[in-house]
This record gives sequence, C-alpha cells and structure tokens, in this order.
Amino acid sequence: MTTAVAESLSYWSMTGPRHSNDLDALLYRVARRDADAFALLYDHTRTRVYGLVTRVLRDSGYSEETTQEVYLEAWRTADAYDSAKGSALSWLMTMAHRRAVDRVRAEQAARQRESRYGASAVEPSRDVVAESALAADERRRVVECLDGLTDTQRQCIEMAYYGGLTYAEVSQRLSANLSTIKSRMRDALRGLRNCLGVT
Amino acid sequence: MTGPTDFELLELAAPYALHAVSDDERAAIDRQLAAAPPSVAEAFRDEVRAVRETMTAVSATTAAEPPTHLRATVLAAVRPDTASSRSRWRTAILAAAAAIVVGLAAFGAGIAMRPSPTPGMAQQIMAASDVRTVSGELGGGTATVVFSRGMNAGVLIMNNVPPPSQGTVYQMWLIGDKGPTSAGTMDTAAVAPSTTDMLTNLGHSSALAFTVEPGNGSPQPTGQILAKLSLT
Repeated sequence: MTTAVAESLSYWSMTGPRHSNDLDALLYRVARRDADAFALLYDHTRTRVYGLVTRVLRDSGYSEETTQEVYLEAWRTADAYDSAKGSALSWLMTMAHRRAVDRVRAEQAARQRESRYGASAVEPSRDVVAESALAADERRRVVECLDGLTDTQRQCIEMAYYGGLTYAEVSQRLSANLSTIKSRMRDALRGLRNCLGVT
Repeated sequence: MTGPTDFELLELAAPYALHAVSDDERAAIDRQLAAAPPSVAEAFRDEVRAVRETMTAVSATTAAEPPTHLRATVLAAVRPDTASSRSRWRTAILAAAAAIVVGLAAFGAGIAMRPSPTPGMAQQIMAASDVRTVSGELGGGTATVVFSRGMNAGVLIMNNVPPPSQGTVYQMWLIGDKGPTSAGTMDTAAVAPSTTDMLTNLGHSSALAFTVEPGNGSPQPTGQILAKLSLT
C-alpha cells in the first residue's frame, strides 16, 4: 500500500492532478478519522508542506509549529475536501501557504520582512531532499519554467508568495502602480501554468 | 454604492489565490463574489484553482525534509485515544486532577469550578478554529503545547523528556501578569518517553514554564526555569 501510494504520487507529480486519486483516497480515509491514512498522508506530503512553510518563514522553530498546525487543520477539515474543486495536494498546499503567510505577517515587522526578502531573493533552493530520478526531473522542469519568466514577473511572485507581502505592499516596495503589479502577477502565473501544462 | 466592476474583481483572483491580499480585502472580495453574477464567480474560482494547482506544481522546487521528530508530534496529536496511549491519558488525567488539588490548596475554592479535563476535551482543542502549537526543548527532549485560547485550554505533549530524579517533580507554570501560577506537576512515574497532559484555565497567561521542584511541588517556583514556551 505504502509503495503503491508513493509510486502513484511520483507519477502524479510528473503528470498532473488527473492522477492524484490515491492522495484523494487517503484524504477520504482521513475524513473518516483513519489515523493510519493520516500517517501516510504525512509521509507522502511532508517535504512539500514543510519545504514551502520553511521557505516562507525562514525559521525552523516557526516552521515546525506551522507544519503541525497545517496537519492538524487537515485532520480537522478533511471532510470538507472536494476533489471537484482541485487536487488533494493543492488543497493541502493552499492550507500550508495560508498558515505560513498568516504566521509571517503576525511575527514580523515590515522592516524585518524586507531584509528577509533581501536574503531570500538571491538564494537558490538549498535544502535539497533525497529525491527519486522522477522527482529530480520534475524539479528541473519546474525550474526551467520559472526561468522562463521575466525578472520583474519572478520578483512579484517571490515577494508575494514567498515573502508574504500583499500585492499592495509589493507595489509600494517596487514603486509600481497596482495595476502593473496585478498584470505582472497574472502574466507570471499564466506563463507558469502554460509551461507546466496545468489544466 | 459603486463597487468594482466584474473585470476588476477577476483581476484580483491571482493575488487572492496567492494570499497576497490583506484580511480586510479578502473579506471584501468574498462579499463581492457572493453578490457577483454566477458566471463571474465561476470564472474567479476557476482562476483561483488554476493558480493554486500551478503553485502546487512549483512547490517541487522548495521541497525540504522536516526534522524526524516532527512526525511523532504530528501523529501523537491525532491519536489521543488509541490503545497505546490510553494509560498515558489516564496518567494525564490523574496528573491534571492532582494539579487541581494543588491549585485548590493554593488559590481557594473558586478553582473547584474548573471543568474536569477529559480526552474529549483534547480532541475539542485539536478541533478548535484558533488552535495553535508551540514547541521547545526540555531536558534534551521536546515539549509541545497545542492550545486554544477560545477553549481556554491546551494539551502538553512531551517527547523524549527524561523523568525528573526521584523525590522531585516537573512543575508547570502559567506565567501571567501576576506572576507564575502552578499548572500541575509530573513525578518520575508520570514521565514516559511520550507523555501527554492537559492544561486548563490558560487565562491571560503569556507563557508556560517548567521547573524542577522538590517533593510534590511548590506554591511558587523555586527551581531554575528549564524551558519556557510562549503562548502569545
């Protein structure tokens, strides 16, 4: 069972949300208070969740706490998951991102956030996990898509998605008007979406 | 009232999906969506879904391995009533009951009004909408508090914390404006490799501190503070 899920997850990550049925099935079991399914859900998603949270929070203590909160929320609200509205992994990652952003906004004064962004903007992803050839291939493909964005588009996504800034704050920092920032975000996301083949 | 046009609403789908709007703005967008024509609301949701799937694919680039001890903490939180932890729960309840007795002696009869803690209460805390967690090192192990201000209570989970030496106890203190208040003690027998305890009546306390105290505990901390977890 574990191996099957692991394989199908790798397969999923290569091919997109059409094949996320196994993670869906786990989530339905979690909704029925199946603690074994919850353990499997943790095992198969932990690097994604913790990795994103720590990318936003940049503090291992906060990241651990927030990761725990994300999984508690998943346990609590799994019955609200609706596969018609998106993939199971997207449901979980949305929760992780929301909590990380809430935490970063609660913890940090704007000035600290700015210096944190300064550090993060130049930093390549370094906590590389031991990964399968498939996962490495996927990572490479996503990096290529990110490289396909213009610098200003990438900067917008970095500041908003990883820096936890609102689009209004991004526009202030960059001294660009709001509609410019909204367009850059939209164009960046469309570019990524097309490049990644997300339907 | 002049609201933004449907086009302006749709333009906000990307920042909304990225959580790049303020709480006020988010609430305003939700209200506008509820009032928008169904086709506009659907287009907005489609865009949000696509952005989130896209960023989920991008999360392959930020994957990182969490510390291994995190797994036990996450899983312990959802298994408070399994067979393996039932005896720990009984210990926890007894310890909490003892804490109430200590509290009664120190602070008078008002504390008798406290509801008695039960495993059901732990699950309610886990399920509370304002649930928060905080972790810190304690004696080489990890102490984690999962708490809800709304429930005015928390669950303490200790992993790999060594038991206190014979004749002493760990005593927990809720630190408030008026100084520390005892939140219970744990003796040598009560501390297992994985130990769970209830914290009731968090009140306005800002932190939970741990000390080692002689005998069955002290009315005020006399030992050095071993760990302090912020509850703010």
